[in-house]
Amino acid sequence: MYQSKLRIITNHLILILGSAFMIAPVWIALASSTHTREYLFQNGLQMWFGGHFLENYGAILFDPAATKGRVTALEMLFNSMVLGLGFAIGKVVISMMAAYAIVYFRFKLAVPLFWVIFATLLLPLEVRIVPSYEVVSSLGLLNTYTGLILPLIASATGTFFFRQFYRSVPDELLEAARLDGAGPLRFFVDILVPLSVTMIAAIFIIMFVVGWNQYLWPLLMTTDDQLYTIVIGIKQVYNSLYEGGQIPQFPKAFALTIMATIPPVLVVVIFQRMFIKGLVETEK
Amino acid sequence: MATLSLRQTEKTYENGFKALHGINLEIADGELAVLVGPSGCGKSTLLRMIAGLETITGGEIMIGDTVVNKIAPADRDIAMVFQNYALYPHMTNYANMAYGLKNRGYSKAEIDARVREAAAILQLNDHLDRKPRQLSGGQRQRVAMGRAIVREPKVFLFDEPLSNLDAKLRVDMRLEIKNLQQRLGTTSVYVTHDQVEAMTLADRLIVMNGGVAEQVGSPIEIYEKPATLFVAGFIGSPSMNFLPGRVADDRSHAMFSDGTCLALDHDVEAGRDVIVGIRPEHFTLQQDGNGPLKAKVRMVESLGAETLVYLDFGIIGENVTLRLQGTHQFARDQELTLSTIANQLHLFDRETGKRI
Repeated sequence: MYQSKLRIITNHLILILGSAFMIAPVWIALASSTHTREYLFQNGLQMWFGGHFLENYGAILFDPAATKGRVTALEMLFNSMVLGLGFAIGKVVISMMAAYAIVYFRFKLAVPLFWVIFATLLLPLEVRIVPSYEVVSSLGLLNTYTGLILPLIASATGTFFFRQFYRSVPDELLEAARLDGAGPLRFFVDILVPLSVTMIAAIFIIMFVVGWNQYLWPLLMTTDDQLYTIVIGIKQVYNSLYEGGQIPQFPKAFALTIMATIPPVLVVVIFQRMFIKGLVETEK
Repeated sequence: MATLSLRQTEKTYENGFKALHGINLEIADGELAVLVGPSGCGKSTLLRMIAGLETITGGEIMIGDTVVNKIAPADRDIAMVFQNYALYPHMTNYANMAYGLKNRGYSKAEIDARVREAAAILQLNDHLDRKPRQLSGGQRQRVAMGRAIVREPKVFLFDEPLSNLDAKLRVDMRLEIKNLQQRLGTTSVYVTHDQVEAMTLADRLIVMNGGVAEQVGSPIEIYEKPATLFVAGFIGSPSMNFLPGRVADDRSHAMFSDGTCLALDHDVEAGRDVIVGIRPEHFTLQQDGNGPLKAKVRMVESLGAETLVYLDFGIIGENVTLRLQGTHQFARDQELTLSTIANQLHLFDRETGKRI
């Protein structure tokens, strides 16, 4: 296709401007996180690196005092990872099994049940947060990973996506598997799960990022700062900026922010390759 | 190896629709039976009932001496080949063929031996490590057949296995299936809507219509003595011509509304309303103009080895097909004179559609 030079330049200009606009805040956070707090306090946000990268990040990662608590950023990253993975894996597993039941087993309430599940889309966590808290606390699950993850893993969206996907799988595959002596469990594990790999990857990416970014529920759930996730940690560090009449720890807050963004970005980058590969090599 | 018997087999769906009205069939050991009929005639339903994929709501199905009505598909000792192949897309062709054996707990060595043997028969040796999507349609269908063969079942079921292939490949695969079936000697049921496929493959042909087996017999039997108007029209291509008429008083002629008479060789009472069936190849063209039938040429299709001429018989019939050997030139609206031979005519009762 022929394109004039002017047009190529214009297109690129727009793309570059757009990218710069999107990246700028991240860049400023990254650059600012490498200065001392005194320097930043005097000179405002920085566009270029200072010389205190190792010092700031090292303190955040390994020294509990730097985050104004008993927990280091490394531990917070671990907590967030547990939450993100538990959330994503739990959602994928639960919604795959729910969709499998709804699509492949003819029980009387399949259709109404599906719509009940679907209707829970209208009840996000924020709406049911008080009763959810009540249930979790009476089960004695406050300040546990289980309590952090379990109330969140039922997923109407996931169930819906898998249901639509399963319905597009030809019936003959099920029939062939039945003739091949595969029971319901075998069919699910041997045929349906491998066929769903792309769907699983897609939903996993989305759910991991959503789980990683959970704020309200972990904030409510965790009174013990050993269980703080990094998203809450940022808030804590930021809070402590105004306490004690010290010079605010802006560079460390920025450092924590940068670290909080890295894992979700990695997950998206890694899984997206698989995702696109799956899309290109359509299996039919 | 086994016989397959259907006794008053019925299918009524939950919504009350009756798809099959009591089918009786005895398929001998090693026979290839073909179920043929237009779409919606119940042939696929019947096959799926034999496979166990549909419940049997009346009568019984026996494989060998066992009534299989309540037996799960996997335990019926049958194997099925589907129209769209139904191969597991994420498995290699080898794994596709081995899957059924694996689930039945065969040893690895046994599975390997059987898969390699089937692959050799089907010329799939070079493709075992690939996935189904890397194969052509014909090869995929071979893998699907391989999956059936390795099981060494009592009965093979084929559900329109060639409909997804192009015309040339369909003919090749047809021969291959016939060869394979004869070589293995396994009792088989084959469903198709293509009457050429049905004629060429069948040891025994079952023509179905509206949930009823209209006629059961060898292909030639059915071609030469169709039991009903439906069978007569369905088997044979181009299909039989039907001319409504009446048996003349001398009982040896059929009379048509324009006064035309055709000699008959049937034992039939005078004055009966009949439909005369004439196959397109059973007209004789009379170059000298001496013959009972006069017709106008409407259209000509030259196929090389034969020529199809579409004729207008006036008020007797406006759409009559004539099949001639070799090539012929006719002008549009040209008048032709045709004759027929008495014992090649088929007579059907106009009321019941049954053969006389």
